[in-house]
Amino acid sequence: MKNSITTNIFALLMLVLCTTIVQGQAKKGSVLIKNGTVLTITDGTLENTDVLVKDGKIDRIGKNLKAPRGAEEVDATGLFVMPGIIDAHSHIAGSSINEGTSQVTAEVSMEDVVDPLDVSIYRALAGGVTSIHLMHGSANVIGGQNETLKLRWGSTNPNDLRFEGAPRTIKFALGENPTRGGRSRGIQPQSRMGVEAMLRNTFNDAIKYRDAWNEYRANKNSRKVAPEYSLRMETMVDILEGEVLVHCHSYRADEIYMLMKVFADFGIEKLTFQHANEAYKVAPELAEFGASASVFADWWAYKLEVYYSTAYNAAILTKNGVTTSINSDSGELIRHLFHEAAKTQKYGDLSDNEALALITLNPAKQLGINDRVGSLEKGKDADIAIFDKHPLSIYAVPQMTFVDGVKYFDINNDAADQRIYIDPESTIQDVQIFYAEDQHRCMEGADVINFYDLLNKQ
Amino acid sequence: MKKFLSILCTLALIPVLAFSQIERAVTSKFALTNAKIYTVTNGIIENGTIIINNGIIEAVGANINIPGDAQVIDYSGQEIYPGMIDSGTNLGLSEISSISEANDFREFGDITPHMQALTAVNPNSVAIPVTRVNGVTTALTMPAGGPLPGTAATINLFGYTPDQMFAGSKGVVMNFPSSAQRGWRRRTPEQIEKARERAQETINDAWDKAELYAKIQGSDDARYYPEMEALTKVINGEVLLYIEVNAAKDILSALEWVEERGYKNVVFTGVSEGWRVADSIAAAGIPVITGPVLSTPTRGSDAYDTAYKNPGIMQKAGIKVALRTNDTENARNLPYNAGFAATYGMGREEALKAVTINAAQIMGVGDQIGSIEVGKKANIFVSTGDPFQTSTKILDVFIDGYKIPMTSRHTELYDEFLNRTPGLNKNPVKTDG
Amino acid sequence: MNKLRKSLFRLLLILPMLGIAMVANGQSDPTGKSEATRTYAITNATIVQAPGKIMEEGTIVIKDGLITAIGKNVSIPSNAEVIDGTDMYLYPGFIDGMSNTAADRPEAMERPDNLFTPDPPNDYAGITPEHHVAGQIDVEENSIDGMRKVGFAISHTVPYGRMLPGSGALLLLRDVDHADDMILSEDVSMFTQFSGAPGAYPGNTLGIMAKFRTLYRNAEYSKKHADMYAENPAGISRPTRDRVSEAFYPVVTNQKPIFYDASSSLEARRAMRLQKELGFSLVLGNLQEGWDLADEIKASGTKVFMSLDLPKEPKASKEDDKSEEMAKLEERRMEFYKKYVSQYSELKNAGVKFGFSTIDTRGNQVKDNLMTIIENGLSEDDALAALTTNPADLLGISEMVGTLDQGKIGNVIVSTGPYFEKDSQLKYVFVDGDKHEYEIKDNKKKSGDTENSESTSEGSSSIVGTWSYSFTTPQGEQTGSMIIKKDGDFYTGTLTSDDGTPDNDMVNISFVNDALDFEFSVDAGGQSIDVVVNGTVTENEYEAEATVTAFNISFPLLATKEAPEK
Repeated sequence: MKNSITTNIFALLMLVLCTTIVQGQAKKGSVLIKNGTVLTITDGTLENTDVLVKDGKIDRIGKNLKAPRGAEEVDATGLFVMPGIIDAHSHIAGSSINEGTSQVTAEVSMEDVVDPLDVSIYRALAGGVTSIHLMHGSANVIGGQNETLKLRWGSTNPNDLRFEGAPRTIKFALGENPTRGGRSRGIQPQSRMGVEAMLRNTFNDAIKYRDAWNEYRANKNSRKVAPEYSLRMETMVDILEGEVLVHCHSYRADEIYMLMKVFADFGIEKLTFQHANEAYKVAPELAEFGASASVFADWWAYKLEVYYSTAYNAAILTKNGVTTSINSDSGELIRHLFHEAAKTQKYGDLSDNEALALITLNPAKQLGINDRVGSLEKGKDADIAIFDKHPLSIYAVPQMTFVDGVKYFDINNDAADQRIYIDPESTIQDVQIFYAEDQHRCMEGADVINFYDLLNKQ
Repeated sequence: MKKFLSILCTLALIPVLAFSQIERAVTSKFALTNAKIYTVTNGIIENGTIIINNGIIEAVGANINIPGDAQVIDYSGQEIYPGMIDSGTNLGLSEISSISEANDFREFGDITPHMQALTAVNPNSVAIPVTRVNGVTTALTMPAGGPLPGTAATINLFGYTPDQMFAGSKGVVMNFPSSAQRGWRRRTPEQIEKARERAQETINDAWDKAELYAKIQGSDDARYYPEMEALTKVINGEVLLYIEVNAAKDILSALEWVEERGYKNVVFTGVSEGWRVADSIAAAGIPVITGPVLSTPTRGSDAYDTAYKNPGIMQKAGIKVALRTNDTENARNLPYNAGFAATYGMGREEALKAVTINAAQIMGVGDQIGSIEVGKKANIFVSTGDPFQTSTKILDVFIDGYKIPMTSRHTELYDEFLNRTPGLNKNPVKTDG
Repeated sequence: MNKLRKSLFRLLLILPMLGIAMVANGQSDPTGKSEATRTYAITNATIVQAPGKIMEEGTIVIKDGLITAIGKNVSIPSNAEVIDGTDMYLYPGFIDGMSNTAADRPEAMERPDNLFTPDPPNDYAGITPEHHVAGQIDVEENSIDGMRKVGFAISHTVPYGRMLPGSGALLLLRDVDHADDMILSEDVSMFTQFSGAPGAYPGNTLGIMAKFRTLYRNAEYSKKHADMYAENPAGISRPTRDRVSEAFYPVVTNQKPIFYDASSSLEARRAMRLQKELGFSLVLGNLQEGWDLADEIKASGTKVFMSLDLPKEPKASKEDDKSEEMAKLEERRMEFYKKYVSQYSELKNAGVKFGFSTIDTRGNQVKDNLMTIIENGLSEDDALAALTTNPADLLGISEMVGTLDQGKIGNVIVSTGPYFEKDSQLKYVFVDGDKHEYEIKDNKKKSGDTENSESTSEGSSSIVGTWSYSFTTPQGEQTGSMIIKKDGDFYTGTLTSDDGTPDNDMVNISFVNDALDFEFSVDAGGQSIDVVVNGTVTENEYEAEATVTAFNISFPLLATKEAPEK
């Protein structure tokens, strides 16, 4: 008897291991990047230094290193080597962005709609970006789960972009976007008061759900009836247990403050505010709670809730001890996040390292992946971006971008047409003129036009 | 009691005292000394001086006599440039873009060229100080909407009335019929072509009528027709014609159209695909306003840096190029648009011209602004270095000879909240007795 | 107006059909439409019994619905209608893996007042897996003959709808009065697709994926509860009646497969991901982009029906001084066209057994598309297998159909030449042993290129003129006129509205082989809403579906051509 149980468990373990090995099929490369100026982020700037990558990991950083047989060598003399840039708020590479029909949609997940065919992925690589946080839209108070991705361009399989092992995260939203949704559909919330109520209601529902299921599981009786299963409540319980990192779209200082109080009441400790244009007004409170902020460099005034913003936001937060990152929330802006980060030197005098941390180590921390990426250190993933000048210079041009040691962008080998899917029925001269507002996809799909009323008008 | 009253009086005075702390723009005779001066049209003057009087540049040079009554400001180690010009914004016409009541650049109707952007400008728009403290002193502010949405105006970003701000140039805006997809909308080629044809007809009809009106204007036959009057100003050469056109095919159609019509004072704006047909534009001698440089490519099959390279390619083909942000609240990013254009082929010198003298000349006020020359308006800024670099600080801005307070909503909020009072812990209020 | 006509028509049909029933009631058949015999013999034909199994100069006897004899020297029953099969080619009747053939289009549900969008009623959201398509069959449907005349004898028909429209049934494409007489097997599949609720939850793929998981898991728990209660109810709370969960019971026990209309490669992968998580039996019923998926399909044991819908072949521009960029882009575009048309042979070579689905194809495109697929690498035998033996296997009916063998159901196609020859036509199609005869067209008049919107048949099927249409939406019926003109090679048209609202231009008008498609845009509050109309013209009637692409909602549109003024 004992033996067969052991063998069974062993077999089960092997099965689990095998499946995980099969899943972790991401391409990994080896390369020696020689003699560059290495911006490690955590260990200062190292001149004339080599970075040795083996099988997708940074093996050594030092001088006069030797490449393993067969590995490519990159001469980085005169070039700058930094960790691959991480965009903590992105909507590229997603087939849908917003399940906007309900105010609480914790059960949906962006992992179901990853679109590896989006040419914006390549364009982001060309801007030194190696990882993105593909986020659900902001039409709902409690939105869907997000997905952390690595930009492994060229595959048609969405699974190849997964950042294996990255913690689960979820999107919340406060302020004008969810209240606008409520107003257009005649339901709550239609005010910031309603937003808070909805949060508390949902967490309380989750506690009841958890209690009911705990009771069911503890019940030794084999003749027991399960409570109703709700994927939505399952996710909410996971948030309460601290297993899902919350990233909350927010702008106004009062709503940022409100959420921290709600989270304190429910014992949730990890929290990142997204956009958070007025976070600077409650910087001390954010630092005290331990919340982070992921902000724009200088977007403001496009809505009432950002009318009282300052481009010094990131600097004020950083100087008050809040872990801050700069994100793009745009398929256009993601391509020059290094320039966006550089603006914090103008607006607030952040140092070179502080500015670079905003797009590397800090977003990594906010996504819970800082053990893997965000700095150039031995043992971390070889997600690396190489520039011909210091990345904070306006004259810097990204030269190469590596993910897991595999080169996905090389300016000397950059064909214009990078599409990996072409509709055979498309026209050749398919010209699209974008204006700035077209790039902001947070509310896509959530603007509920009452179609039936429209037909009536017609 | 007396003590209490005196405390009360002091307390009452505090708000008054606070008000008198507001920085004001000042005008004077200024001597800006010891700076590296980028004149743009006459090279770089190391260690130079500029004399400003009555809003005009009276003298520029390395060895200038400084008048005794001038307020001398020593800018050793700093650089001075002509104020930058953003050739495409909605500054003053849009306060919060998502709130329709706060937007005044779009009027109802297809043919409304007589709508005046200038008079609708809000001189006290919050975005104006935000923009000028970054060294952008002048902007072309534009109406938007249908085929002929209105008349744009060039404004200096300082003044309390539109007339105080007006920089002397106006132009009728025309949106050339487009064969491109707009943003994410998916229309079939037939639908686009149908819409384009209709728009082309509308435009041709309007201009035909305008040409007739131009002939009969002043006679008894002429009725009150403000739309046509506005177009007549273009036909008579009084104002410019800004033609917004982007797709390569459309640019070529627009070139044909302009040649057929024979209008001389034409400027193309947008021109996102200008690089594809640069030689044709150059041959026609039409100047171009393009941007934002920080844009995605117009085609899925285009290289990622197509928009960055666009201005440089056009400039090298012999086109006079000016840059715009096509923005309002972030028109302050004009120097960074220029920086990217410089990096991707245009070069620093030409990129600087594209946001200074080229823009001024294209707008017909090249004799008044756009470079640091004797006799021109004193629109300049002082910086710690290359204005295209984000690490550079803008120390001072002069517009029309006024030294502008270097404050804006953004800086004020920074001052208030960098070290907030109270911080985390609010002190308990001390009570008397 | 058209509904009334339809009912009248039906009534007229019933009367003579009653002739058959009337025999038992002492009535004869005054229309003369009944067949004289139900025994047929086709002699001296080339009989393709199965891919690669050919009998020259063979004879087949079909009697009372079954193939009773097949061979070179078989005795022909005295009451048989004998058809001379010299130069003819016989094949097993084709089997359609997934389509809407014979399914009645349901009326669009009216939007409830005070609709609570986060939690709409299940039927409004399109979550009705408990519905059976067998209860929604319209024996008058044009599609039945439309598919039969191109060779299909059996269709796995699924219902129209949204996320979970209901269960599919295997239908014999017969010409009968009663839907039941068509049913070979009922409730054989659960059909699902990525189609969201109109303006309510689940609205798009995000909600649909999550909703599917929730429904499935709840069904698992619910079944456990129901089973436990059935065995011994003592002390257990009474299970509440939940039709949606109950519909899932045979799915969670793998007795009933899920047929997914997941046509793009991303959608197909999403379906396979759900399958991996939840464990149901998955059939990809309409795969259009399969070229990257062979390994995953094989590893997961997913069954596949490939779509017979192909993209239009891109045409290179004829400019003399084409730029290098243009030439390269055209080359890349053609590369992707090739992926679509060569994937069938590639999948076959990778070891994926598949059938075909016509759900996105019109009957008159089937042959052309098959020929294109064969031109691009799929062998004729493999194509035939995908039409006959493969679907029979995949659907579990290979004992009854799929080949021409004695004892199997009399589903036989009789072609004027080898089927995979461009000019061969189908003269007879036997379904369930009933003969259907088709007119053979004179091929000399056929023009080669039918790509542009030219009218291929003059006179009776010309669409030029004024039609009166009616278009039914939740707000009610909208009526007006459809005025179509011909301008050189192209059609133009206008839609007018009886309630005085502005006219709409009809664009992208295509009329090929009875299929009339066009598009128009509605301007609603500054936003342009595109509507795509697809339908078939029969004589002076046009039966179509108008789809609002942005919201993925469809409404029926019917039109009648007015007689031209003298």
